[in-house]
Amino acid sequence: MRWFEYLTRRLLWAILVIISVSIITFTVARVIPSDPAAAWVGSHPTPEQIARARIELELDRPLWVQYYYYARDLLSGNFGTSIHSHQPIASDIRTYLPATMELVLAAMFIAIVIGIPLGVLSGAKKGSILDHLTRLISIAGVSMPTFWLGLLLQLFFFGLLGILPIGARLSNEVALNSPVVKITGFYLIDSAVTGNWVAFKDVLLHLILPSFTLSTYPIGLVIRMTRSSMVEVLNENYILAARVAGIPERTVLFVLALKNAIIPTITVLGLSFVYSLTGAILVEVIFSWAGLGKYTTDAILSIDFPVIVTVTLVITIFYVLINLFLDLIQAAVDPRVSLQ
Amino acid sequence: MKNRSLIFVIVVIVMSILVTQCAPKPVTEATIPVTEATSPTTAANTPTTEVTTPPEVSRKAIFVYAHPSDLPNLDPARSNSNDSVVTSNCYETLTFYNPPGSTDILSPELATRWESNDDATEWTFYLRKGVTFQDGTTFNADAVKYSISKTKEIGEGSSYIWDPVTEIEVVDAYTVKFKLSYAAPLDLIASTGYGAWIYSPTAYDQQPTEWFNEGNCAGTGPYMIESYERGSRLVMTRFENYWGGWQPGQFEKIIFEIIQDPTILQQKIESGDADFTYRIPPDNIANIKANHQDIVVYTNPSFQNLVGLLNTKKPPLDNPLVRHALSYSFPYEQFIQGVMGERATQARGVVPKGMWGHGDDLFQYSYDFDKAKELLTQAGLPNGGFKLVMTYSSGDLDEQQLGEVWKAELAKLGIELDVQGMTWEAQWDLAKSDPLKAQDIFVMYWWPDLVSPFTFLNAMFHSEKSILWNLDYYSNPKYDQLVDTGNVMAGTDRQQATELFIQAQQILLDDAVSLFFYDLSNTHLARSDVKGFVDNPAYPHVVFVYKLSR
Repeated sequence: MRWFEYLTRRLLWAILVIISVSIITFTVARVIPSDPAAAWVGSHPTPEQIARARIELELDRPLWVQYYYYARDLLSGNFGTSIHSHQPIASDIRTYLPATMELVLAAMFIAIVIGIPLGVLSGAKKGSILDHLTRLISIAGVSMPTFWLGLLLQLFFFGLLGILPIGARLSNEVALNSPVVKITGFYLIDSAVTGNWVAFKDVLLHLILPSFTLSTYPIGLVIRMTRSSMVEVLNENYILAARVAGIPERTVLFVLALKNAIIPTITVLGLSFVYSLTGAILVEVIFSWAGLGKYTTDAILSIDFPVIVTVTLVITIFYVLINLFLDLIQAAVDPRVSLQ
Repeated sequence: MKNRSLIFVIVVIVMSILVTQCAPKPVTEATIPVTEATSPTTAANTPTTEVTTPPEVSRKAIFVYAHPSDLPNLDPARSNSNDSVVTSNCYETLTFYNPPGSTDILSPELATRWESNDDATEWTFYLRKGVTFQDGTTFNADAVKYSISKTKEIGEGSSYIWDPVTEIEVVDAYTVKFKLSYAAPLDLIASTGYGAWIYSPTAYDQQPTEWFNEGNCAGTGPYMIESYERGSRLVMTRFENYWGGWQPGQFEKIIFEIIQDPTILQQKIESGDADFTYRIPPDNIANIKANHQDIVVYTNPSFQNLVGLLNTKKPPLDNPLVRHALSYSFPYEQFIQGVMGERATQARGVVPKGMWGHGDDLFQYSYDFDKAKELLTQAGLPNGGFKLVMTYSSGDLDEQQLGEVWKAELAKLGIELDVQGMTWEAQWDLAKSDPLKAQDIFVMYWWPDLVSPFTFLNAMFHSEKSILWNLDYYSNPKYDQLVDTGNVMAGTDRQQATELFIQAQQILLDDAVSLFFYDLSNTHLARSDVKGFVDNPAYPHVVFVYKLSR
């Protein structure tokens, strides 16, 4: 029963936040001094064209009526039309989202695989050289500007060594001769599922540098979080008891201690997942990765308000949902969390 | 437990995949539903489907264009932007605007010849025979009538170029007659790179606009779209039945690789990964020229120029002497050499060099401090003593620097120049308000939608009842008449029209209505083994790959 109440309460809050953000983004887009009608029509518009566009875009209606149409459209899946391309934004998001997801998930994977073990060991061997080194890595990770790191990696791995591609998701040769059949939009999955190993290898190579660049911030966070909660947990009595009982150190660390230390790390992982969605913008531009970030950047540069507003809303929705999801997981996993 | 973290990770991945699949479906037009699997076209010329692996083509036979911006809209009735690099290879127009330096302005394309009546209100085009669309439909007068009527009906992009047309008559299978409500150069209009494409009525009737943007085209041109990955890559392949035929050495495929990052663009052209590109940072061009014998840099004037419109209604600029003084006060040569380098050449008159109607003998202002001072003295302002507000588009570094350079010069004359960067909308809104409260100098770029001096001379300087683009508020009936008559003549007697347009430009120069700073140059880079490239500013950044060979 309590579960249900908790869930409902959280859901209602989530919906309230989403509605508020949609009102804010909608108002911002309408209030900023610009003439969407003129921008819609294109360069050198005639007065007749502008007048016609104004009616078509329903800019002559009162603001709250416009919001009503906006909200109604959103709910039915119509996310508006891009001023720049006159294409439905929903279809653009559908095209570009998988690319960004693939990048972000790869970054998170790297963050987990590198960050957690390092955090555990560093917490266990507190004060050692390994610990100091790891803490250095973690601070570097959260402090380094992504675009700078991205450029450095390109310079080194492509410019100097020539072993990794400079950008894009796929090379021209593979796109022409062994193209990836689009099923999910995740090229790794699509190429693996269709047995296209030439493309799979190509996709993987292209994925390495951008996902690593994007992962540095989450790695930093994950190491710090895991380390500090490990230090706490390792002081507990049951750890001492386990050691005295002769349980191997690896089990003590990675099974008994980690299962309690992991909880705050899960929260941090979730938050850095959403953070990476926005962090992906810079990475995508540097590596010419055709995802949501590059799409948003283009929209900002061409002052395409509907796109900017919609992407903001979409990312906010993600953020809210992930937060909700994390809280629920935490409530389920950690008996100490009160549902009140 | 480790299991929990594992479960968490798996759930997040699955959720992400599901969410991206459940992303909102685009709202499609309420016409015939799209069948995704099959293309609607007849058998002969459809590109290979996704299931079979296409035969490998040698790298030499592929033209790779590293394109620095995305392709907004591939629908031929709506395309109005950088997407023209693709549409120009897939579709054709009735007439073609030749590159600067050609003897004739226009050459035949889908029309073999054309004529008009004496006052340019009736135009007849005789069409090329033996042409088919890429979907197998025959090209004829019906297709022409359909395309242009449809483009007008949809009313987007540059469709307004067809505004003068009231009726399109299919005289016979290969003759089309246009009736106009007022005189217009329809042969020029028919050559534009936006809104004048002829497309297959069969395809356009059956397919919604999304079909085009998924990567399909239905034109008469030499290449058709094979695949399209929005934001990444568009591949075109030869249309074997193209009416122009094929010679050895011509390209079989075109790849447009969409890359916004200038570092990557440069790497692509230097390594030979790409055969063609532009928008390389100007500072790097010199380096490329010095170190890369395998790259050719093409620089030539575009049809875009920068003007500084002077507020002719607001003192002290309502005094022609002061406007003349201002025209002599700008250090043209110094600025262009110092700031723009190869990116610009000084403007002469209003119409950019290379476009018909440009006057090579027109007067050109130059920097002359003494003359400026003398003129100010004549105007009763020997030591200046007034302030001018110059607005420009914030974010444009060239315009900003121009303002700063000019400010320094005007200060020597005792004139204070307030250089204000504004968003385009704000700048335009201010200019459209009361001239007495608006800016003194409006700096902006202008470029033609239709390749005719009329768009320059009419929009910015013809008297307007309610201000739209005449942001110098100039009103001169003699000038108006020259321009209006010139426009009528543009269709029937281009020689005469040129003379009238040149006279009109001279009036503007005599009255110093505006400063004409520079014509922007285009810089394109191509690998040296690609032959036949000539930049045609009438079709910005378009490469007509059919005309190239390796």
